[in-house]
Amino acid sequence: MLHCEHCKLDIRGSHSLCPLCGGIIRGENDIEDDVFPHIPTIYQEFNIFIRAMILVSISAVVISFAINILFTKESRWSVLVAAGVLCMWISLFFIIKKKSNIPKTIVWQVALISLLSVIWDYSIGWIGWSIDYVIPSVCIVAMIVMAVAAKILKIGIRDIIIYMFVDGIFGIIPVLFIIFNWVNVTYPSVICVAASVIFLSALLLFQGDNIKNELNKRMHI
Amino acid sequence: MTRKKPIEWIRLDNAAKIFPPTTNEKDTKVFRFICELNEQVDKDILQQALDKTMIHFPLYRTILRKGVFWYYFESTDLTPEVKEEYKLPCSMLYNQNRRNLLFEVTYYKNRVNLEIYHALTDGTGALAFLKTLIYYYLTIKYAADFAEGLPNLDYDATMSQKMDDSFIKHYTGSPKSRKIKLRKAYKITGRRSIDNRLKVIEGVMSAKEVINLAHKYETTLTIYLVAIFIYSIYQEMPDRSRRYPIVISVPVNLRAYFPSVTARNFFGTINVSYDFSKGDGSLDDIIRKIKDDFSQALTTEKLRVQMNRLIALEKNAFARVAPLFFKDMVLRIANSINDRGITAAFSNIGKVKMDKIFSPYIRLFNCFVSARRPQIAMCSFEDRLVISFASPFIGTDIQKNFFRILSEQGIKIAIASNVKEL
Repeated sequence: MLHCEHCKLDIRGSHSLCPLCGGIIRGENDIEDDVFPHIPTIYQEFNIFIRAMILVSISAVVISFAINILFTKESRWSVLVAAGVLCMWISLFFIIKKKSNIPKTIVWQVALISLLSVIWDYSIGWIGWSIDYVIPSVCIVAMIVMAVAAKILKIGIRDIIIYMFVDGIFGIIPVLFIIFNWVNVTYPSVICVAASVIFLSALLLFQGDNIKNELNKRMHI
Repeated sequence: MTRKKPIEWIRLDNAAKIFPPTTNEKDTKVFRFICELNEQVDKDILQQALDKTMIHFPLYRTILRKGVFWYYFESTDLTPEVKEEYKLPCSMLYNQNRRNLLFEVTYYKNRVNLEIYHALTDGTGALAFLKTLIYYYLTIKYAADFAEGLPNLDYDATMSQKMDDSFIKHYTGSPKSRKIKLRKAYKITGRRSIDNRLKVIEGVMSAKEVINLAHKYETTLTIYLVAIFIYSIYQEMPDRSRRYPIVISVPVNLRAYFPSVTARNFFGTINVSYDFSKGDGSLDDIIRKIKDDFSQALTTEKLRVQMNRLIALEKNAFARVAPLFFKDMVLRIANSINDRGITAAFSNIGKVKMDKIFSPYIRLFNCFVSARRPQIAMCSFEDRLVISFASPFIGTDIQKNFFRILSEQGIKIAIASNVKEL
């Protein structure tokens, strides 16, 4: 047992100085009497891969601006590059944030990609490709990806059911595009709505109870 | 067909709701209970004991999830595994990106460590779990010694009583609104270690000796130790900060005031303070003021009023339909405002009682809490009183002052610490 004369108390375990006053201690070290294991210091660093990617993005945008200003002053294409990189990072940010929950990530990406593509379409001068093609395809792809992921990754039915339900609801929204005649090309929206209605019916028929329980659980006030 | 679980999901109790939004690397809201036995812990037997204990506490087999409006506990199939201690004490247990149990049982040499995330339960609830765990461990390991019959475990509660949200049960309606005084308290500062390591210093001493010392000052053990704590902080306080009072936050076990045997959170907090710019700063004066503060605040009515106020917030219609991320922001702000009025915390778990037949096997019980500033937690088992300091700061002056005040009056103390360098 070690002893500190200044603090007038005993010290258990093995120490080289008094834990309280930092002074000189007397007595026998007793490693067997240590009550805490030694844990080495860990340095937490911001993921090096992400840092490299940020640097590559910044370089790409800066270089494209430089080339634009020097050689092709007529068109402002470098702004598109910057916007593209920004969209990619927004998408990546949400993927990293929700990465532990794959179905949630998928649904967030559906909403995000739809929103970003509409903004993109609008800023270029409305052509309509965002609601013609992007939104319907993204909804259908998400449905397929979720169904496949559920099988391969063995995601429990309760964990995925609510996200499939939300995606099904998203997939019905293109019916508004058709009714209000906002689309030029109708077949993607029609396929999307049809697939979603069938998907939702199957969900409600075979998992209706589970969906009700999940909604009750997650939305309880 | 999905297998039915004992509880599918359950809401958080009122006190638990503050913890998830305010948890971060610097303040993990995890506390640890320790039982030191008189010989090395056997991993396999501890695992068996843990499996048996889990049957009595289904709430522990849950993970914390985010709903649209509130957090909730969801049943899981994850089973707890006993490991040798491998992490820093009171490191993060709740990580919103990972799904893991909210408690962990580890062992090191003679010690059984139980770390719990505060949203799950409070000190009393955790102690009930630990006592059950030790009960099973000892009765399995030394089955021969208990051949005459197993002793009783003094925790008598049905499953529904254990899962009770006692806050809601004792809610008596909206209180009169009251102006809350916000006074800035003295803040303890210091340098932190690089990896947010908690510096734990525990002191073991004789409970009788310290109680006798407290009687000499005509006061109880808790009040005496709180007074010494305040004095220790005062000795390190810069002169220009004397105009701020030192405020100690003391959690109160509400089970002593309202009938409940819940295994979940059921505690309130009271603040006791001393202003060194107003009083004469002698230990006697501090004890007098603290005694006064305690007797004024520790009444059933005052505690009920505080409880009602907190639950009314939770039941408010606007609060209920506010989305979770908004509630989180508001709670974080409210927490930091509340924190400005507190210097440090002092938590007295009290006497830990186990059947006399277990005494020869158990050396002591101990507990400490993760903290953003130096914090004391104490408990006693038979004559062994254990006072533990947990601090995120590298400096140990307050701890030194505290223990020296006791040792200079003749108390025999043995300390242990997890950090060897200064």
